[in-house]
Amino acid sequence: MSTTEVAPGAPGTPGAAGSPSGPALGTSGGRPSGGADRYVVLAERLALPVAWLALIIIYSILRPDTFPTWTNISNILGGIQAVLFALALAALMPTMAGDFDLSLGGIMGLTAIFVGWLNTFQGVNIWLACLIGLVVALLCGAINAFLVVTCDSDALIITLGTGAIYLGIVFVIARGELITGIDRALSQATFTTRLAEIPLEFYYALALMLIIWAVSSFTPLGLRVLFVGKARDVARLSGIRVNRIRWGGFVLGGLLAGFAGVCLLGTTGTADPTGTAQYLLPAYAAVFLGATTIRPGRFNAIGTGVAVYFLATGVNGLQLLGQRSSVQQLFYGGALVAAVVLSRQLGRRH
Amino acid sequence: MAITASAPVLEMRGVTQWFGGFRALDNVDFHVEPGEIVALCGENGSGKSTLIKILAGINAPDPASRLFVGGREVPLPLAPGQFRDLGLAFVHQDLGLARSLTVAENLVQGELGSARARSAISWRREHRRVRELLESYDVHIDPQVPVNLLPPVGQALVAIVRAAEELKRYRDRADVAQSILVLDEPTVFLPESGVDFLFDLVRTVVAGGTSTIFISHDLAAVRALCHRVVVLRDGRLAGQAPISEIDDRTLIDMIVGQESGGLVGHTHRRSGTADIGSAPVVASVRGLRGGQVRDTSFDVRSTEIVGLAGLLGSGAEEVPYLCFGAQRSEAGTMVLDGRSIALPAFKPWNALAAGVALVPADRRRDGIAPMLTVSENATILVNDRYTRFGAIQGRRLAARVDTLVEKFDVRPRRPAALIGRLSGGNQQKVVLAKWLETGPRLLLLHEPTQGVDVAARAEIYRLVREATEAGMATVWVSSDFEELVAVCDRVLIMADGVVRAELTGDEITEERISAAVYEFSAQVADALAEAAGIVAEAAASLGEPATATNTATELTKGPASDVDN
Repeated sequence: MSTTEVAPGAPGTPGAAGSPSGPALGTSGGRPSGGADRYVVLAERLALPVAWLALIIIYSILRPDTFPTWTNISNILGGIQAVLFALALAALMPTMAGDFDLSLGGIMGLTAIFVGWLNTFQGVNIWLACLIGLVVALLCGAINAFLVVTCDSDALIITLGTGAIYLGIVFVIARGELITGIDRALSQATFTTRLAEIPLEFYYALALMLIIWAVSSFTPLGLRVLFVGKARDVARLSGIRVNRIRWGGFVLGGLLAGFAGVCLLGTTGTADPTGTAQYLLPAYAAVFLGATTIRPGRFNAIGTGVAVYFLATGVNGLQLLGQRSSVQQLFYGGALVAAVVLSRQLGRRH
Repeated sequence: MAITASAPVLEMRGVTQWFGGFRALDNVDFHVEPGEIVALCGENGSGKSTLIKILAGINAPDPASRLFVGGREVPLPLAPGQFRDLGLAFVHQDLGLARSLTVAENLVQGELGSARARSAISWRREHRRVRELLESYDVHIDPQVPVNLLPPVGQALVAIVRAAEELKRYRDRADVAQSILVLDEPTVFLPESGVDFLFDLVRTVVAGGTSTIFISHDLAAVRALCHRVVVLRDGRLAGQAPISEIDDRTLIDMIVGQESGGLVGHTHRRSGTADIGSAPVVASVRGLRGGQVRDTSFDVRSTEIVGLAGLLGSGAEEVPYLCFGAQRSEAGTMVLDGRSIALPAFKPWNALAAGVALVPADRRRDGIAPMLTVSENATILVNDRYTRFGAIQGRRLAARVDTLVEKFDVRPRRPAALIGRLSGGNQQKVVLAKWLETGPRLLLLHEPTQGVDVAARAEIYRLVREATEAGMATVWVSSDFEELVAVCDRVLIMADGVVRAELTGDEITEERISAAVYEFSAQVADALAEAAGIVAEAAASLGEPATATNTATELTKGPASDVDN
């Protein structure tokens, strides 16, 4: 019950032609067949949430004064981590349809800077500026889709290139400087207003996650996306409009990355052209780590959410323990590699 | 061709090969004389490939089997790759070339690792050397052209030259006079006009001290090129003769066999009294062209199963994909239930909407998503019928899946099991269920029982027959003629991209299908060979390269009809 084949082509290798084949993990759901088997499945599904809980307990014991406080919980859930949450959901979109998009960090940065520039230098109303920013993000996604899907090119390489272009535009717009003086209304709508001590943006991302989860799990569209992501040739020969779904993945990914950019602008209150490239790695780490849990073997929204905050908790605790913030990259990179390797090893076990 | 009286260059004695309980080869003797071109003929499953795979070191035959090379006994089984040390080289149908690399790179590749490759490569010198090399074989191809820009004939020539050079290096190294080239169905995808080039080249290679084993379905090619023909049937030596002493009729009989074996499953055929003539035509294909298919027209009536039979390269195996829009067609229309469809613009999603279903041959690649469940695979095309407010009603869908699993006898009856873990037969039942759930008007099957066990096979026959009798039209493409006999109401014979004959009622026997398939392929080849001169002249007057008559024409200028996409 809890096995699969090893997916053809390692995820993320260029040899796989830019198609994340997905971690080869045991499946779940449906009817468990037998006692021992059922526990294995359950253990797989819950391994990450349990690890998260363990982290929380360990850090709470080690730093009882600083870790388990409302301020810190708000820190972990809101702010930059909520931006990362939104970006991870953005990365989930093309990944579910079997594609990669490495330009999402660039799209997020471009949107943040563009909205800030419109608002401060051009005097555009902040909400209109946000809307325009989202449209730009959507167009960036559409450009990716056109180049990768319609022109049938390698997704990894194309989006590596377009990502650099989008980031380049950021520097042209901002001339490498911080943009400050953005309308406080944006901050209030995302970061400074809190519900149960947690910034509003966290709830936005949470709502998005639930919508993605519902659509991907309980609608015919979600299942068609699953087929396109898992077996593109089969989907094509079943009359599924594969290219349309792949387009959707890139465009929605772009749009969500734009949303993450708006949240980023609201959270920091300034538009910093230098600081956006580093978000892509943790976003993908969360997507792949998320595919080892909840619905192992499948890229799923709730797993991604759990993974985002598993990583956020881990990094937060390390900082409280006195590690430098540069340890983040180590942690994220390690998590991404571990997630991919572990899931393939588990897949081979059977 | 001078054939000396020395020992055979290759001799296989009493070769027997078991696969589980199945005897693929039964005490076969086979030999090749120096300087000889031997044709190895037989139907699919006759044992040709099994025999060749023993030489390639892929199969391990029974201990009693013996192999002699140049008169010296070589212990079997061979290790993979050991054939190189015995002076053997293979050119398979796929040619094994690096298609995006140039001709020179492909030819030089074989020398890498030798001492002279340690110094830097001067490409100018290599190009000149390769050009001279090709000229020495009377092959006129630009060494700097990427292989995938060559026409299919050019690619085949490059592959053969490469193999010939390998053999030449072997003969120099081992200081022997003889080596053996194995050509495995090299002419299947070649236009008739190109085959002559290939034959010229093979004769050149043979004159240089290489015997050749030529495996082919193409009797005209066998007749044109070979000295002797060896026929296998059902794993046994059916006969052999010098090609000049055997006529086509005898040869075909030898390949197909005379005795009518026990044909299973006639029960799936429509009873003789039922009148198909009055049933309405569901699908009418006209002027279909694309791939190997040149100009194919046929009708399929409601409640009718029409079989398509043809040798590899006849185009039969491409018809389902062309009619489904999965492979691009260049021309053709299909009238489906009175609605006319232009096939070149037809896409798989149009097919789905129009009620056309396709069960592809390569199940693992095209038929199932192995990492998803039986339930998901079976309902992907119809799950939108089980929704309320856009959300799937899990319970209603599950109930339907339970019914399906029961009806299609999918074992185990576990909709949540991953389909990749099921047996081939059960996977195929799910694929069939998936399509039949859409209620198609036209069902296209390509080798639907490939890799399927006997019990599941019978089940699939029954399911398709039942669904067809409810009013559907079915096209069944198979290289298993026994299967066509068991299920089809009518069988169309394809050769060279065209429907050549139709068998109905009592005419549908395995022998008649086989005979027709070979006969028409041979006839087509003969007719084409005669017409080639005229065609070439006409082409020349239109300003196209007359590749059929002028060996000196640069092949690279020919139509690159097989550009890899």
